[in-house]
Amino acid sequence: MHRTMALGSLLLIGCAPPTMYKWSGYDVALYDHYKSPQERALFVTRLAAVITNAEGQGQRVPPGCYAEYGWALYEEGRGADAIVYFQKESQHWPESRVLMEKLIRNASGLRAPAGAKGDAGTVEEGRK
Amino acid sequence: MRILLATLLTAACAMPVHKDYSKLLAANPRAILIVPALNKSVEVDAPDYFLSTLSVPLAERGYYVFPVNLVKRMLEDDGLSDAALVHGADPIRLCNLFGADAVLYATIERWTAKYILLSTQVEVEFNYVLKDGKTGDLLWEGHEKSVYQSNSGQGLLADVIMAAVTKAKPNYMDLARGANSRAVEYPGPGLPAGPYRPEYRMDVPEVVRVRGKPAPASKPNS
Repeated sequence: MHRTMALGSLLLIGCAPPTMYKWSGYDVALYDHYKSPQERALFVTRLAAVITNAEGQGQRVPPGCYAEYGWALYEEGRGADAIVYFQKESQHWPESRVLMEKLIRNASGLRAPAGAKGDAGTVEEGRK
Repeated sequence: MRILLATLLTAACAMPVHKDYSKLLAANPRAILIVPALNKSVEVDAPDYFLSTLSVPLAERGYYVFPVNLVKRMLEDDGLSDAALVHGADPIRLCNLFGADAVLYATIERWTAKYILLSTQVEVEFNYVLKDGKTGDLLWEGHEKSVYQSNSGQGLLADVIMAAVTKAKPNYMDLARGANSRAVEYPGPGLPAGPYRPEYRMDVPEVVRVRGKPAPASKPNS
């Protein structure tokens, strides 16, 4: 058993190149979100962590991750916060521009739900 | 750990396979839209779980990938919550909607766990199809399968423990990740490097590259 594992490790080291991006468990965050959608706050926090981890190390945030986080904020009615991240996705990944422009337009028209922060002029850097 | 065993059970390192990349190279997609997977298994949660494993391998091949959860939710808002509808939709329209160059349709062919005596066999099988957002043409396709069999061969007690552990939690995710990375691995039947990889356009053999272009002045022929 242990011998098999060691052999497997060797083969895996032989094949797997290091990753280009620092994903910080983005895929696991998605999986857990689909498995336990009620744990939404945790999902949002983990998406934020993908961004802060990469940025903190001066690395490029993986494709789609600014927008994925922005969308999570948008779904919570935080239109102004969402826009910040849609803009970041658009700036860092020109391929996303068409979609991000659409989403920014949508988020601009989003009315903040009662009790939530108004979205006029409160663009902030998001939670860290 | 299971992924290692799965790796052993299937191919260790993919061998170069000759495949026609001409359409893919001519289309030269940068941005790939990954849509929710079509499910042919009986496991209702499989498509969502599987979807979570697709972004990383494609992005690591050097392509821009649209955020899969955002795309899924947007499609649902547009009345396309059924993956069959999405897969049946016009790829050109779909790509226009998101500004994508190509769309990846993944299908779950198998997602099963069988318990036979003291051993557990977990099996996943997928089809991957990449279509051009401008022409709707097929650019690339892949097919992968991963099997995990708990069979430690270390005597009855070890087998019982292994079977119990695996039965409690068959790890589909590692198998799916393994299948995905083999599917896109290049050289092999996988995807040549996308624009964000340093070896972009340098990892395809000359023959394929020339064939990929509509032969512009490659040979000033008689």
